[in-house]
Amino acid sequence: MAMPETLRGTLSQAMEEIPSKASPAPETRSDLEGEVARYLPQMGRMSEQLRQTSKQIEESVVGVCDSFQGIAARARATVARATGFLGNEGQSVSGKQSFEGLIGACSGTLVKIMNTTAEAGEISRRAIERIEDMDKASQQISDALSQLDQITNSNRMLAFNARIEAAHAGSAGTGFAVVAVELAAATVKSRAVTAQVGELALNLRALAESTLLDLRRMNERDSERVEQCRQEVDTSLRDLQAAHSEMAEMLNGMTADGALLATDIGAAVRGLQFQDRISQRIGHVIEDLDTLSARLEKHVGNVAPGEAAADDGFSAYTMQEERMVAGLGEAESSAGDVELF
Amino acid sequence: MKKVLIVDDSVSMRQMVGFTLREGGFDVIEAEHGQDALDKLKGATVDLVITDLNMPVMDGITLIQNLRAQPAMKTKPILMLTTEGLAGKKEQGKAAGATGWIVKPFDPEKLLQTVAKVLP
Repeated sequence: MAMPETLRGTLSQAMEEIPSKASPAPETRSDLEGEVARYLPQMGRMSEQLRQTSKQIEESVVGVCDSFQGIAARARATVARATGFLGNEGQSVSGKQSFEGLIGACSGTLVKIMNTTAEAGEISRRAIERIEDMDKASQQISDALSQLDQITNSNRMLAFNARIEAAHAGSAGTGFAVVAVELAAATVKSRAVTAQVGELALNLRALAESTLLDLRRMNERDSERVEQCRQEVDTSLRDLQAAHSEMAEMLNGMTADGALLATDIGAAVRGLQFQDRISQRIGHVIEDLDTLSARLEKHVGNVAPGEAAADDGFSAYTMQEERMVAGLGEAESSAGDVELF
Repeated sequence: MKKVLIVDDSVSMRQMVGFTLREGGFDVIEAEHGQDALDKLKGATVDLVITDLNMPVMDGITLIQNLRAQPAMKTKPILMLTTEGLAGKKEQGKAAGATGWIVKPFDPEKLLQTVAKVLP
C-alpha cells in the first residue's frame, strides 16, 4: 500500500528529530535499528490517536445530526399545529374547532340572534298596527254610539209627543198611550245600554293607547339596541377577522421560515459529510501507519529485552484521552470537570 | 409510504441519509454492511436500496450481486452512495446491477430528486 507523500515527509522529519531530542545520534546501522525499535510502539499509539479522533468527530456529527432532526421535527409540528388552529379544515390538531371555524360559527350565531331580534321587532310593529286598528274600531264604535244616542233621544221625544197626543184623543188613545209608555221605557233601557257600551269603548281605547305607548317605546328602544348590537358585532367580527389575517400572515411567515430552515439544514447536512471523508482519509492513513509499523517491526524487530520503549519526545499531548493513548496517562481532569481553587 | 434500506458502515452517514429521506416522506431501515442488509431483508421487502461501496464484512458490490439474485429484488432500484469516484469501480457497480451512482458528499435535495426518479 502506498504511503502518502505528506505522511512520508512527517515521518522522515520525526525520525530526524527524535534522536536529537531523545538520545545521542546512533553511530551504526544496528544502533539506528535499536532506536527505531524503541520508537515503534509510538506508531501504534499514533494510529490509536487517529482512530479515537475519527470516532470523536463521528460522535459529534451524529449529535449535531440528532439536533437537526429535533429542530426539523419541532418546526414541522409547530407549523402543523398553527395551520390546524388557523386553517379552514374545521378542526385543529387537538380536535377542537379551528380559529377560522370559530369565527364562522360565531358569525353564524350572531346573525341568527340578529335575525331573531329583527323578527321580534317586526312582530312588535305588527302588534302596534293591530292595536291602532283596534283603536280606530273603538272610535268608530263611539261614533256609532253617538248616533244611537241621537236616535234614542228622538225616540224619547216621539214617545213623549205620543203620550200627549194619546191624552188629547181620550179613551180612543188609550192603546196608543200604552205603546208610548213602552217606547219611553225601551228608550230609557237603550240609553243605559248605550252608556254602558260607550264606557266600555272608552276603557278599551284607554287600554289600547297605553299599550300602544308601551309598545312604541319598546320598539324604539329595541331598534336602537339592535342597531347598536349590530355595529358592535360588526366591529368584533372585523377585529376577529383582522386578527385571523394577521395570524395567517404570521403562519405564512413561519412556513416560509420552515422552508428556509429545511434548506439550511440540507446545506448543513451536506457540509457535515466532511466527517465521512475525513474519517475515510484518517482510516487510510491508519492503514498506512499500521503497514509501515509492521514492516519496520519485521525489519528491526521488537524492543530489545531489558530496554524500555521510548516515551520521550511526545510531550505535545494535552488532553487526558490522548495522554492515556500515548502511555502518559495519570489521574487528571477530563472534559466537563470543574475545579475551583 | 415507500420503504428505503440504507447500507453504510458510517453511523453519521446512515443518519444523514436517513434524516433526508424521512424528511422526504420515506420509511427508512438501516444496515451497517452488506451482510447486515441481507439479514434485515429476510422476510421484508423494500422499494429502494441505497448502499455504500467500501464496508467491512460485505462490500456494496457483493451486496448488489446478492440482491439481484433474489427474485424480489431483481427489478428494485439500487443506488450506490460512495466517496469512490474511479470509473472502474463505477463500471463494477453497473455490472453488478446498480441503478445509479451518487458521489458523497450528497446534496439532500438532489438525493430526493434522484430517489423520486428511480422509484416507480
